[in-house]
Amino acid sequence: MDEKPVILLTVVTPEKTVLSEHPVDFVVLPAFGGELGVLPGHAPEVVQLKEGFLRYSSGKEKEVFSALSGFAEIYDNRVLVLAEAAELAKEIDEERAKQAWRKAKDAIALQGDQIDIDEAQASLKRAAVRLKLAEYRKKHK
Amino acid sequence: MASLRDIRKHIDSVKSIKQITYAMKMVAAARIKRAQSSILASRPFAAEMDRLIADLYCELGEDDIAGTQAKELFAARHKGGAVCLVLVTADKGLCGSFNTNLLKAATAWIKGHRNRKIYVVAVGRKGRDFIKRLKGLDLEMAFELVGIFPKAGYAHAQLLADNIFKIYQTLPVESVTLLYNEFKSMMAQRIVTDQVLPLTAHISGCGVKGRTRADFAFEPGKAELLGALLPRHVGAQLYRMLLESQAAELAARMSAMESASKNASELIDGLTLKMNKTRQAMITTELNEIVSGSEALGG
Repeated sequence: MDEKPVILLTVVTPEKTVLSEHPVDFVVLPAFGGELGVLPGHAPEVVQLKEGFLRYSSGKEKEVFSALSGFAEIYDNRVLVLAEAAELAKEIDEERAKQAWRKAKDAIALQGDQIDIDEAQASLKRAAVRLKLAEYRKKHK
Repeated sequence: MASLRDIRKHIDSVKSIKQITYAMKMVAAARIKRAQSSILASRPFAAEMDRLIADLYCELGEDDIAGTQAKELFAARHKGGAVCLVLVTADKGLCGSFNTNLLKAATAWIKGHRNRKIYVVAVGRKGRDFIKRLKGLDLEMAFELVGIFPKAGYAHAQLLADNIFKIYQTLPVESVTLLYNEFKSMMAQRIVTDQVLPLTAHISGCGVKGRTRADFAFEPGKAELLGALLPRHVGAQLYRMLLESQAAELAARMSAMESASKNASELIDGLTLKMNKTRQAMITTELNEIVSGSEALGG
């Protein structure tokens, strides 16, 4: 058992399981009070997440996710992330995110039904995270 | 007796109805696969969420949660106040007894709570229209959500959960009850009545897997975490319910449309037989007339 310790990362959302026990070396969670880096051997912790980036690296492989508010549990070199939505940076379409952002802004400006406003605000938040992530990806290429 | 042309017309109209019902059946069959897979995909999240809440709840002492928002959601309210019903129906008809049975169950439930004020949250057009038609009862439509099927997403569930919490917090509601169809199999649906608030039954036993929890760190505090987790938990539960109802609706529509197509085929067979008989009878009569005519002439 001389293997290098790894973290098993699981990311689930209500709509799908994004990652299931994926072995990684290092995870950064968008915790409520700021980013939280997790290395193997981290103390057990339960944190609340806000919308932001979820990063992990495993060997040379590096990935960035956008994560919307949720929770994470760290226990025994396992990281379990329960997010309301999570998307791989690669899968994000910047143009679409921009359009969605604009559409949501318009919807809020128009002052429609309460349902529309709520939905627009949620999609505005989502689009903003996606845009930020797209920018981040460009910088860290 | 119907003429040949009338029968042909009838056959044509039955045929086009059959085409429509058949197409609807195929659409439902295609959608149901997706609905079923989204139910499956939602399970890990709900399971992990339940476990996390159960662990966290056991970790907390009574004093930790006293006076917080989380406590309020667990506490039973005094009996006899108003009640809240969340009725989940389909948006459209043509799905057999899916809506009818549900609305019957809703009527029975409303009768059972006749002397109280009832706040209704209606999901689906059929349920909303039904509630609006009811007269002479102390009913109030608190929130409605229509047109979400067959593309119900987590965002809808969250929206529904937010509104249910708002109702629960601002109005003197004793309990919130769900009434929906559960997807049992392709052929059968089951009507489920389920209480969401106050939370009690959902929290299962503590200390699964014998973990020692004492050294856990929490950020932010335990009570805040639980307070933030619980609405999510209810959201996940509502999401599952919406998906169940959606799959059940599609299954009901599929079997209803299949039997409609079958009936149309039988009707067409019967009518074709009748048409042929009429045609034969006409030919026989004509022949008879010709023969008797020539006999009369030829002598």
